[in-house]
Amino acid sequence: MKWLSTYVKEMKIASRGFYFYIEIFVAVIALVILLVAVKENPEGKSVEYLYNDLPSSVKEELLAQDLAEGNIRLREDTELTIRPSSFVLKNKDTGMTESFGLNPEKTVMAQTYQKLNPETGEVLGIVYLLENEEDMIRMSYNTGNIGATTTMDASGNFSYKYVLQGYETARYEEVLYIIHTFANDDIEAIKEQQSTSVIGAAERLNNREAVVPLFIAFSGALMGFFIIMSYVFLDKSQGVIKAFAVTPASVWTYLLTKTLVILTTVIISSSIVVIPIMKLKPNYLLFYVFLAASSFVFSCLGLLVASFFDTISKAFGVLYLIMIGLMLPAFSYYISSFDPLWIRFLPTYPLLEGLKGIMQGQADVSYVLSYTAIFIASGFILLALANFRFKRTLTV
Amino acid sequence: MISVKNLSHSYSNDEKLAVKNISFEVEKGETFGFLGPSGAGKSTTQGILTGLLKLQQGEVEVAGYDLKKVQNVRFNKIGVSFEQSNVYSKLTALENLKYYADLFNVPTRDPHELLKLVGLDGRENDRAGEFSKGMKHRLTFARSMINRPELWFLDEPTTGLDPAIAAIIKDIIHEEKLRGTTSFLTTHNMYIADELCDRVAFMLDGEIKLIDTPKNLKQKFGQKLIDIEYLKDGKLLKETLKTIDEEDRQRIAMLVTSYDIQTMHSKEATLEEIFIQVTGKGLL
Repeated sequence: MKWLSTYVKEMKIASRGFYFYIEIFVAVIALVILLVAVKENPEGKSVEYLYNDLPSSVKEELLAQDLAEGNIRLREDTELTIRPSSFVLKNKDTGMTESFGLNPEKTVMAQTYQKLNPETGEVLGIVYLLENEEDMIRMSYNTGNIGATTTMDASGNFSYKYVLQGYETARYEEVLYIIHTFANDDIEAIKEQQSTSVIGAAERLNNREAVVPLFIAFSGALMGFFIIMSYVFLDKSQGVIKAFAVTPASVWTYLLTKTLVILTTVIISSSIVVIPIMKLKPNYLLFYVFLAASSFVFSCLGLLVASFFDTISKAFGVLYLIMIGLMLPAFSYYISSFDPLWIRFLPTYPLLEGLKGIMQGQADVSYVLSYTAIFIASGFILLALANFRFKRTLTV
Repeated sequence: MISVKNLSHSYSNDEKLAVKNISFEVEKGETFGFLGPSGAGKSTTQGILTGLLKLQQGEVEVAGYDLKKVQNVRFNKIGVSFEQSNVYSKLTALENLKYYADLFNVPTRDPHELLKLVGLDGRENDRAGEFSKGMKHRLTFARSMINRPELWFLDEPTTGLDPAIAAIIKDIIHEEKLRGTTSFLTTHNMYIADELCDRVAFMLDGEIKLIDTPKNLKQKFGQKLIDIEYLKDGKLLKETLKTIDEEDRQRIAMLVTSYDIQTMHSKEATLEEIFIQVTGKGLL
C-alpha cells in the first residue's frame, strides 16, 4: 500500500503547511461574505432625475393620478448635492450643443418618490423631482443616471426630453421613443399578440447562490492547479523527489497521491461553502463526482506544467497565463450575450455550466456525467504525459 | 555487484561529455571509492548507477539489473545516501524513516534503531526542519540503510560533519562492510577513501585515470618520501622529496650538507598526493 503511505504522508505535510489552511481560510471567508454581504435578492433600483416644466395644476394632477394608481409612493424630500462639473450636452435631434461650466457646488431639496410595480407593489426605483432643468441635467451627469424634462404645449400635448450619458444603445433610445409614441393600450395589445418563451425552464439561482459555481470552479479547481504545482516545487527544492526516485515506488504513486491530496482539500473547502448556502438543493452525489473529476484534471494539468520547470518562479509566467485563460468563462457565466464558440472549449466552461445545473438542483445528468468522463479521461492523458516528463526530469 | 562498460554521458546531448567511455567493476562486498575533484564526473556516474540520470550510452548492470530495462524493484537492494540532505522538513525524523520504510517490498530496519545508530535518539519526534545541517545529513544517511541495502551508494558521507560524528559514520560504513554490504563511495576526501575503500578509482575530466587498491597505489607511487624542513636565509622552508628519484636524492644530500635541517621525516604518500602525481591536478 505504497500509495496509501504516500497519501498519508502528503496529507501530513499539507496539514502542516500554509497552502492547506489558505484554502480552508479562503472558503470560510467566502462563506462569511456570501452570507453577510451578498443579499439573496437585492433590489434592482433605477434612479431618475425629472424636471416637470408644467403648470402647477398639471403637475399636481399627474402626481395625484400616479399616486392613486399605485405607480409611485411619496417619500421624504431628499437633500441632493450638485457638484461642480464641466461638460457639453448635445441635442441628438438638432445637433446643437450646450456647455455647462464649473458652477459652484450647491445643495437642493428634491421631492422624492419610489417607483412601484402597481400590481405587486415591488419597488422599481427612485425618482427625484427637481426645480429646474439645469439641476436635473447636472445631477444626471454627476450620478450617471437618466434625467428627463416633461413639457406641455398649448394643445395640452406632453413632450419629453431625455438626458442620457451617451453610451446607451440605440435600442434603449428607441424604447424611450416608443413608450411616448404609442398609447399604453396599443403597447399592451401588441404584447398580447406576441408569444414569449424563456430559455431554460430551470430555477434561477439567487444572487448568493449564483456565486457558488464560480467559487468552486476558481477556488477549487484552479487553486488545485496552482497548489499542486507548489507542492511539487516544494519537493524539488527539498530534494525529496530524488530520495523517492531511488525507492521501488513508482512515479505514478507520487503523482497520483498528489492529486488525491488536492482532491481532499478541494472537497473540504468546497463543502464549507456549498452546504450552508445551497442546503439540500443540489444532487450531492453528482456534485462530488463532478468536483472530483474536475479537480483531477486540473491537478494533472498542474503536474504536467510543473514537470517543465525547476522552480515556481520560472513557471510563474505559464502558470499565470493558464489561470487567466481558464478564468475567461466567468465572463460568459455572468454575461449571457458573451458566449463565443471558442470559450466553450475551455474546460472551465463546461465546469461552470455543470456546476450551475447541479446547484439549481436541475442538472442535466447526461451533460454532467459526459463531462465527468471527459475530465477523467483528459486527466489520465495529462497524468500519463506528466509521468513521462517526470521520469525524465524528476531528479534534475 | 556493479558492472560498467563504455559508459558515456552528455548533459547537452552532444559531443561535450561529462563522462567519457569509462569501464569498471565492483565486486560483491567490496567498498569502492570513486575519487576526484568537483566536476570530474563522479556524481554523474553515480547518478546513472542509481537511476537518477538516464543511461545514454554504454552497458551498466547494478545489483544484477540491466539499467537499460527500467525495473524499480532493483531499489529494494539499493540504498542511496545523498550529499545534500533531502528529508521532508515537515515530517519528524521518525515519520521520515517510517514513510520510506513503507516504500520498500523487503523487510526493513527499525527506524528507532537507525536513529540511535546515527545519534538522533531522543529527537525522533522533532520535525526535520528544526534539525541542524549535520543532523539532517545523519537522517539522510540513516534513511539510506532502511532497506538493509546490498549495494550502498554513499555520496560524500562525512562532508560537513564534525569529526566525532564523521567518525561514527565511518564506523557504521565499516560495520556494514563486515556484514557484506557492497559500498560505492563517491568523495573528494582522500582520507576517508584511504580508511574505508578496498579499491579506488581516480576520476578526472570524465575519465577514469586509474583503479587500484590504496595499498598498491602507495607502493607504486608513494614509497620513500621524505619531508625536510630547513632554514635558509632565516626562513623555514619545507620540501617533500622521493628517495627513489636520483635527482631528489642529490637534492636531499645537498640540503643536509648546506642548510640547518630542522626536521626530517620519512612518510607514506597520501592518496591525495598520489592523485596529484597521477593526474597533475589537485582535488579541490
